[in-house]
Amino acid sequence: MKPFDLIIGAALGVGLAACASVETQDELASVADTAPVALVEKSGLDIVVHEGDFAEIQQFTTPGGVSVWLVSEPSIPILSVAMAWEGGEAVDPEGLEGLADAVVYHMNEGAGDLDSLAFQTRMEELNMSFGCSASSDWTSCSASMLTDNADEAMSLVAQAFEAPRFDAGPFARFQREREVSLNTRETNARYLAGRAEAQAIYPDHPYARETSAESIAALTPELAKAHMRKLMVKDSLIVTAVGAITPEELAPMLDAIAASLPESSDLPETPEITFTVDGAFEPVLIDLPQPQSLVRFLAPGLKREDPDFFTAYVVNYTYGGGGFGSRLMESLRVQKGLTYGVYSWLSFDDTYQNWGGSGQTKNESVGEFVEALLVETALIAEEGITAEELADAKAYLTGSYPLAFDSNAKIAGQMMSVRQDELGVDYFDRRNALIEAVTLEDANRVAAEFLQPDRFSFIVVGQPEGLN
Amino acid sequence: MKRIFAGGLFALSAFASSAVADESAWTPTVFNLDNGMEVVVVPDHRAPVVTHMVWYKVGAVDEAEGKSGIAHLFEHVMFKETDDLAPGEFDSIVSRNGGVSNAFTSWDYTAYFERVAKDQLGTMMALEAERMTDLVINDDPDGPFISERDVVKEERRQRIDNNPGVILQEMVLSELWKGHPYEITIIGNMDEVAALTPADGLAFYKEYYSPENAILVVAGDVTPEEVRVLAEEHYGAIAPTGTAHGVRKWAPVAPLTDTKELVYSDPKVRQPSWSRYYSGTSETRDRELSYALDVGLEVLGGGMTSRLYQSLVEDQKIAINASTYAWTTLHDEGPAIITASPAPGVTLDALETAIMAELEKVLEEGFTDAEVERARNSLAAQAIYARDSQSNMANTFGSTLALGGSIEDVLDYPDAMRAITTEQAIAAVREIFGTDRHYIEAHLLPAEGDS
Repeated sequence: MKPFDLIIGAALGVGLAACASVETQDELASVADTAPVALVEKSGLDIVVHEGDFAEIQQFTTPGGVSVWLVSEPSIPILSVAMAWEGGEAVDPEGLEGLADAVVYHMNEGAGDLDSLAFQTRMEELNMSFGCSASSDWTSCSASMLTDNADEAMSLVAQAFEAPRFDAGPFARFQREREVSLNTRETNARYLAGRAEAQAIYPDHPYARETSAESIAALTPELAKAHMRKLMVKDSLIVTAVGAITPEELAPMLDAIAASLPESSDLPETPEITFTVDGAFEPVLIDLPQPQSLVRFLAPGLKREDPDFFTAYVVNYTYGGGGFGSRLMESLRVQKGLTYGVYSWLSFDDTYQNWGGSGQTKNESVGEFVEALLVETALIAEEGITAEELADAKAYLTGSYPLAFDSNAKIAGQMMSVRQDELGVDYFDRRNALIEAVTLEDANRVAAEFLQPDRFSFIVVGQPEGLN
Repeated sequence: MKRIFAGGLFALSAFASSAVADESAWTPTVFNLDNGMEVVVVPDHRAPVVTHMVWYKVGAVDEAEGKSGIAHLFEHVMFKETDDLAPGEFDSIVSRNGGVSNAFTSWDYTAYFERVAKDQLGTMMALEAERMTDLVINDDPDGPFISERDVVKEERRQRIDNNPGVILQEMVLSELWKGHPYEITIIGNMDEVAALTPADGLAFYKEYYSPENAILVVAGDVTPEEVRVLAEEHYGAIAPTGTAHGVRKWAPVAPLTDTKELVYSDPKVRQPSWSRYYSGTSETRDRELSYALDVGLEVLGGGMTSRLYQSLVEDQKIAINASTYAWTTLHDEGPAIITASPAPGVTLDALETAIMAELEKVLEEGFTDAEVERARNSLAAQAIYARDSQSNMANTFGSTLALGGSIEDVLDYPDAMRAITTEQAIAAVREIFGTDRHYIEAHLLPAEGDS
């Protein structure tokens, strides 16, 4: 076991003083025009180099038509490649919930002459990893490899796209595993809270659909293979890469992948979810036999395009987003000792927005926890934040931004989210100014509008006491 | 440029001869301050940020009888109050300077860290130096020590008491380490944590927190000279307290002399699981055996290509997963574990019979050269991928030194891993999992009458 596995992995092994999550969900802003900084022509590739404050991003389209953002980072002999397509679990057909999951599960389970074991063995021989995943709205794949054998590693990836096997053996294993998770999810507090949220706010939306024994049983390798050719198509593929490689080296590797992808496909649009103050609901209690309850609180939020978005983002830092410094942590953890952690978030994908949060407290103190939470929420709505709190929020949010770019993995992730949200290659360079521009007057107007306690609804999972 | 850590079957021969060429780019610099504080500087010039860590050579292993959880609770209290910093001010200064800070406690060490833009390194050192020397712990019943005790009790509920699998693991480890200081889990027994007092905190501080008992690790976009100047300014002037003794309570873990079965049922369990915990080893106690065991367990149960997975999950289809691993990075010997979860409709008895049949077959027949070569190369390659994370590198060097190891132990890891032979790998597995060995078997089950 590598030296640090224990620290990260062992629930018993470590007591973190806090789980101050830093860049949980990075905030994003409106689109601006991209100013190309340099145009380099070499080997037939038109490469637009963006000399950003945090990374030098090379943008190009391969001869095969793949649009790529690459950061060349020579200091470690590794390469990470990420691919994404819009369209994920939300477009699973009715009755076939789990289909996108089945697709991504099998992408490293055999291709061409290689069955599952042979494919996995080949990845080990090359010391590489490759796998795919699906979220509600996106299908993604990523590969990491050593640059010494990147050619061979990327050929194996290309083979996975060209001739995936979807063999009966792995498919039956997939179904067995999912059958088990149908049971285990029923005692997972976070899963149960998510289901309650869906049922309360958007019961008829595709996001609310769940897999079932019937939908898992209805899946077949043929259906999955056909669906793969709808999810993974050339015209919606976006690629980001970071590592010890040049555009000229990378382009043909990506073209070998793109060569086997269908040109395009039609996927259904996912309708937007309307969650307004009228959608507030009575507290939902879900019984789960455990000593500590999970409390989730939810109010309507706002879209990233909203002119108040960055203001809300800054206010959220003071409210409950800023780790130890936040009002919620100061009151519920530091002063009252009611919780190990309480956090608030802004959730702002295109489909569904909320201003919510979560924390855990022993069953006996749930009433006190909710009461203290509402007191803090009322206080920030009525009195706003102070000039000092605003300055602190801006100082942290802007000052810590370089930490989001200090590894290949983080840079790759940052570039992918900016590409998915179409924010423009200069977003990273503009983002801090958008935060600096937030005024105290706007902050307090947004707090007064969005953080009224009566906008919040509660979901509690556990065996809570003292709730009115 | 020759890549040092070139992996894969085909790069092996090139590897040995070129292993030194590239290392200077990330080899740490080590030096000592006059007061005995050790300093490690790990270069990473990709981004203008640093990871600043102070490691103290104290952990849960060192706690006095009846005071379980003090090392970890004390770590929380370090964020509270000093002569010059009001409660909460430590965090607000770090945040205002664009930094993040946190800490963690293990059985073997306690570490505090800040990640921040490199021009703030001096400020972070000033803060850590301040709480190394001037922490305030008072016995105000409404004060931070008491409320933090409640926070830790909530942390225990969140990490352990809410999770049946972790509750069972705590029971097993306490049995495995019976009589050893690792016996009680790091966060402590609930009753003992509840009884800890501010006086316990102060005594702990005096006994262990002193510069000669600490290691400074700075990873990031700085030179050793820059770090030396700042470290001498902020830490160099701190005199050893004279009350810290530096004596650790580590001891060899006695191998199990009995076989036991522990069963834990809980209404939250919806999928049973089966595990066996054997007496294992540790890198500090026996590095060669540890590395050989890591390779052997990778072949036996390390992933989808492993013997157990292929037999139980793929061929017989009686398990949902099956794996083996060993805790080898504690100072003293940790467990080596076989664990599996049954496919729907399969009993734990049937699962156990199948696992043991496969294990016995492997113990008898041994491994092939090809599978051992893949396993050792995979483990060696992880050391290259690990370099992508600055905090990971800082943690690796810090934890190794805190356990009494050396920088070379980290640098030599890939070579040492690649040197493990097929014979060594199977011998290690035979030594730990041999049919004459005792173990603790753990069954996690749904509550009676549950579906």
